[in-house]
Amino acid sequence: MRRLATVALVLRSWKTSERMLASGGFESTQRVIASEPVVESSESGARWLGIAYWQAVNRVTRGGVRARWTNDGGRLTFLGGVSLLSFGVPELAFTGGAVSCRYAIQGGLLALQAGGSVTLAQRRADDEVELSVIVEEYVPRLAARLGAPTWTGALYAKGQSPLHAAVSRRYFELLASRAGA
Amino acid sequence: MKISVFGATGVVGSALLPLLMPDHDVVAVSRSARAAESGVRWIEADASSADDAARAIEGAEVVYYLVHSLGSRDFERQDQIAAENVAAACEHARVKQIVYLGGLGDDDPTASPHLRSRRETGERLSAAAVPVTTLRAAMIVGKGSAAFETIVALVDRLPAMITPSWVSTPTQPIALDDISRYLAGVCDNQAALGKSFDAGGPEVMTYRQMMERIAILRGRRPWIVEVPVLTPRLSSLWLHLVTPVGASVARPLIEGLKSPTIAREERLRTLVPFELTSFDDAAKVAFG
Repeated sequence: MRRLATVALVLRSWKTSERMLASGGFESTQRVIASEPVVESSESGARWLGIAYWQAVNRVTRGGVRARWTNDGGRLTFLGGVSLLSFGVPELAFTGGAVSCRYAIQGGLLALQAGGSVTLAQRRADDEVELSVIVEEYVPRLAARLGAPTWTGALYAKGQSPLHAAVSRRYFELLASRAGA
Repeated sequence: MKISVFGATGVVGSALLPLLMPDHDVVAVSRSARAAESGVRWIEADASSADDAARAIEGAEVVYYLVHSLGSRDFERQDQIAAENVAAACEHARVKQIVYLGGLGDDDPTASPHLRSRRETGERLSAAAVPVTTLRAAMIVGKGSAAFETIVALVDRLPAMITPSWVSTPTQPIALDDISRYLAGVCDNQAALGKSFDAGGPEVMTYRQMMERIAILRGRRPWIVEVPVLTPRLSSLWLHLVTPVGASVARPLIEGLKSPTIAREERLRTLVPFELTSFDDAAKVAFG
């Protein structure tokens, strides 16, 4: 079991997985168990799950990739210009032990087509608090297509996918450190 | 109850005094002499002087700390000294509660010196044995608020703006009246002692969206172009040229705009319930 470094709150049981769905879309999941909730069950708590994720993207890429928001949604830009991914407005949910912030993927250079989503969530189960980043039904432009040679997806497999996992790891650490601040 | 308000002549302090005066014996603390007013006693004192702080706090049960030294060259050090003086004086005078207005985003590890100073001021105040109630707010939407008036001046004076990337940072501005009500509402509130609360407004927006909202209210349509290469120094010099805000104030403010300043919890809305003012309504009040 690998422990992640945090300031105020203990994270453990880091897990990451990825698979291609029959639809051709990808499902990527990163999870960690926290010793305490990192956000309260409220609109503000759900929104913070999303804000912190984009902060993590910004930090892992050293400011190279930033989120920009308008009234209609947001987009991830590279060096302030190229739109890597575009998103809908955040869909916030907080019911009982679950708090989440979901962004629908609407396009961008790294998406072959509109569709799929990124969901940032905190779920309480028994005495545990699970934090997760779940990408569903996302069709990456850089990944190998169904039936194509593996090497055609090297940019995704060796670049975008590990970067995404690194962002998730940083995201969980950021949530944990700010939760106890 | 006797209450001392440090920073009483500031934007927030001025709005808070009328809310406290009907029910309390209010001592308003100012660095410069003020004429007497009914319902409030003014004391000339400087929080950076231990003797002054002790004199201003004498007999008080609750102390509001709304002081900051933004605009001074060494504002971080000055803020620390003043906070330490007031904390020590409060402990000596057996004050029951210190109420402090800090900044949302001040716990960001990459926070600007301005935001970091707000956090460190809170820590200095909390170092004494007196329970501190901290309200953390983003931009205050009100007349005289430096950050708000800077944004308004930009919208009013420039038909086109080349803006740095901070305009995409999300923030949750709060109306001056609302933060004042929150501050008054936690006074002597046992459930607030020793706790920190996020005081967010009812809407989350980026600074760009805020500019666009203000532009609509002012009947303008500025052209906004974001560029990633404008440094805080360049931006502050630019603001110094085109707005009434001096570079020494503009730079720490701009550096602070890089951090998201949004509420992460809503406990204050339960503790001090009332309907929050929309950004547009707060801005209209600020415009007069």
